[in-house]
Amino acid sequence: MTSIILTSSDGVDLTVERTVAERSVLIKNMLEDLGDSGEAIPIPNVNEAVLKKVIEWCDHHKNDPPTVGDEDDNRRKTTDIDEWDQKFMQVDQEMLFEIILAANYLDIKALLDVGCKTVANMIKGKSPEEIRKTFNIQNDFTPEEEDQIRRENEWAEEYVFSFLPCPY
Amino acid sequence: MPRPRSSARFSSEAPSETSSSTSPERAADDDTDFFMAQANDSQSSVGVANFRDLHVLPERTVALPPIGRLPPELLIGVFSKLTTPSDMLKCMLVCRSWAANCVGILWHRPSCNNWDNLKSVASSVAKPDSLFFYADLIKRLNLSALMEDVSDGTVVPFTQCKRVERLTLTNCSKLTDKGVSDLLDGNRHLQALDVSDLRSLTDHTMYAVSRNCPRLQGLNITGCAHVTDDSLLVVSQNCRQIKRLKLNGISHVTDRSIMSFAENCPALLEIDLHECRLVTGPSITLLMTTLRNLRELRLAHCSEINDSAFLSLPRHLIFDSLRILDLTACENVKDDAVERIVGAAPRLRNLVLAKCRFITDRSVLAICKLGKNLHYVHLGHCSNITDSAVMHLIKSCNRIRYIDLACCNRLTDTSVQQLATLPKLRRIGLVKCQSITNKSIVALARPKSNYPVTSSLERVHLSYCTQLNEEGIFTLLNHCPRLTHLSLTGINAFLRPDLTAFCRDAPPEFTQQQRDVFCVFSGEGVSRLRNHLNHLSHMRQQESSEATMYDDDEELDEDEGQMTGLMHATAINDDDGYIDVPPPSQD
Repeated sequence: MTSIILTSSDGVDLTVERTVAERSVLIKNMLEDLGDSGEAIPIPNVNEAVLKKVIEWCDHHKNDPPTVGDEDDNRRKTTDIDEWDQKFMQVDQEMLFEIILAANYLDIKALLDVGCKTVANMIKGKSPEEIRKTFNIQNDFTPEEEDQIRRENEWAEEYVFSFLPCPY
Repeated sequence: MPRPRSSARFSSEAPSETSSSTSPERAADDDTDFFMAQANDSQSSVGVANFRDLHVLPERTVALPPIGRLPPELLIGVFSKLTTPSDMLKCMLVCRSWAANCVGILWHRPSCNNWDNLKSVASSVAKPDSLFFYADLIKRLNLSALMEDVSDGTVVPFTQCKRVERLTLTNCSKLTDKGVSDLLDGNRHLQALDVSDLRSLTDHTMYAVSRNCPRLQGLNITGCAHVTDDSLLVVSQNCRQIKRLKLNGISHVTDRSIMSFAENCPALLEIDLHECRLVTGPSITLLMTTLRNLRELRLAHCSEINDSAFLSLPRHLIFDSLRILDLTACENVKDDAVERIVGAAPRLRNLVLAKCRFITDRSVLAICKLGKNLHYVHLGHCSNITDSAVMHLIKSCNRIRYIDLACCNRLTDTSVQQLATLPKLRRIGLVKCQSITNKSIVALARPKSNYPVTSSLERVHLSYCTQLNEEGIFTLLNHCPRLTHLSLTGINAFLRPDLTAFCRDAPPEFTQQQRDVFCVFSGEGVSRLRNHLNHLSHMRQQESSEATMYDDDEELDEDEGQMTGLMHATAINDDDGYIDVPPPSQD
C-alpha cells in the first residue's frame, strides 16, 4: 500500500494512503502528472485541521463505488445524508464551511455534495429571520425591497392549507 | 439610466451554472457573448455590488460570518439542494446576495399548477420595474395542469421568456398557432416542446419551431392532426439535434417527412408514429438502417407496414441499441418479419405484437432467442399461438415482467401454470382466454418454483375468462400482496352486488350493456374485495363449525366427558405410552 505526503497550508506534513488521497480529483491528477517522485504535495488552500478532517472523510469512503451520471442526478433531488456523514458534519460552522471550500478546491464531489446538503438542511423550514440568526447574516434589504420580493414571488409561498388532509 | 432590475444580470449569470445539466451545449450558445457582456456590466448590479462588499473589500472580511466565505457558485450549490419553492423564497429574503444567488434557482421552473400561481408568475414576468428580470430566468415552463383554462391571452406575458428550454403545454387545448408561435419566436434555447392534444395547431406552429429551435431535442405533437409533411420536412432539416419524436395521430404524415428525419437527424433515439397510417415499409427500413442508435420504434396501427419493411434490412446490420419495438395492429407483419427482427435486434426488451393476428408459433419460437433481454411482451389477439410455444417462451425468457396473451384462445391452463413460474412477473393479461380455469389462477397465486416466496404480481387481467369463480380469486388475492389491479369483467361468478360494490366505476363512454358486465378492482378496491372475501370465508367456516356443534351438541358433552376420563386414565397409566390422544386442554 503506497502512501503519499500532503503539506497543509500551515506547513504540516500528513502521510496519507494514496488511494484515500485519490478521492480528490485534484490530488489524483497531480499524482498522475508528477509520477511517483515521493515528494510532498503542497495543499496551499487547506490548513492542517481541515485537511485532517477531509482525509478522515476520504478514508471512510475509500471503498465507495464511483458515482455515475444518473445517480448524481438523483442525489441532487434529495437532502438525505447517511448517518456517518451526518455525524461527521456535526462541527462548528467555521469548520463546516472550511470543509465545503476544501472539498471544492480539492475536487471531491461527494464530500462537497454532503456539505451543501448539510447547509441546506440547516435552512429548511426556517423563516428568513431564523436563517439570518443561524448563519449570523445581516439583513441589508430596505423594507420596500423585502416587500417587493414577497410580492413578486408570491407563487412560491407555502400554501399550508392545500397540504392538510381534508377533514371531511 | 440603469434599470432597477439590473440586479438580475448578476443573478442570471450564476444560476446558469446549475442549469448546465439541462443545457450542456450552453457553451455553444450563439449569443453567449451578449449574455456574458451583460453579466459583467456590474455598474449598478445589486448582486455584484454585494458580492464585492462581501468578498473583495479586505476591511469587511473580518466581520464576515463563516458562511460569507462561500463564493456564489457554492452558495448556489447549497440553494440547489433545497426542494421547495417556499424554502427558496425564504433564502431570497435573507439578504441581497442570497436573493441574487437564489432567484435563478427559484425561477428555473416556476410552479404554475394552479390558476393563482400562474397569475402571480405571469404578473411578475410582465412587471416592467420588477426587482429581477424573471423572464430570462425561466428555463422550464409547464402549463399542462391548467388544461383548457390556458388561452392565447394567458401566455402573452410568457412571450418575453426567451430562455425557456422545456415548454410543456400538453392538453392546453384552447391554445392556437398564435399563442404557441409567439412563445417560440425569438427563443433559441428550446430543447423540448410538448404540444400534445393542441388540436388546432397547424403547419404554422411547426414552421415557427423550425425557424426558432435549432437545439430542439424532444418534440411531441401527438394529436395535432392538422400538421402535414410540408412543415415536418422543414423541421427535420432545421432541428437536426432531435432525439425524441412523437407524431402520434398525425394522419397526414407520409414517408416523405419520415425519410427526411432519418436522413437529417442522426441523434434520433425514440420515434413514435402511432396511427401514422400513411407511413410505409421503406421509411421504416431507412429509419433503422440510418439511425444506428435508435432505441425505441413505435409503429402501432401503421397498417401499411408489412414484412418487407424488415426483410429489406441489410443482412449484416445488427441493431444493438433497439430496446422497444411496438407493432400493434400492423397485421401485415408476419412470422418472416418477426424472425428477421429478433435476429437483427438481439437486445429487444419490449416487443409488442398485439393484433399482428397472422403470426404463429414460429414467431414465438423466434422471440425465445431474446432470452433474458426480454422483459415485456404483448401477444394479445395473436390467436394462432399454442401452449407449446408459450411453454418454450417462458423457459427461454425468464426475466419477463409483463406478458399479455389476451384472446389467445387456444391457450389452456398448461400455459398459465408455466407462466406462474416467472420469478419477476408483475403484470399478466389473459382477457378472453376462455379455456383457462381456477387451476391457472391457483398456480399464479402459488408459483411452483424455487424463486419468490411471495408473488410479485401487481396487475392481473382476467376479464371474460368465464370459467373462473370465487375460489380461485380468493386464493389469488390472499397470495399476491402487491396486487393493485384485478379485472374480472364479464364473468358471471363475480357479477354479484356484494362483490361489484368494490369495483370501480365504468368509464363514462360505456353503454348500459357494457356497464352491466363491468367488473374491475383497482387500488383500495382490491384490498376491500380481499377483506370481503376473507370475511365471507370466515363466516362460512364459522357457520359450518357452528352447525356441527349444534348438531352434535348432546353427544359432544358426553364425548368430552369420556375424553377427560380417558385422559385421566392415561395420566395414571403413564408408562403405557398411550399417544393417540390429543393433548389435554389447559384449564
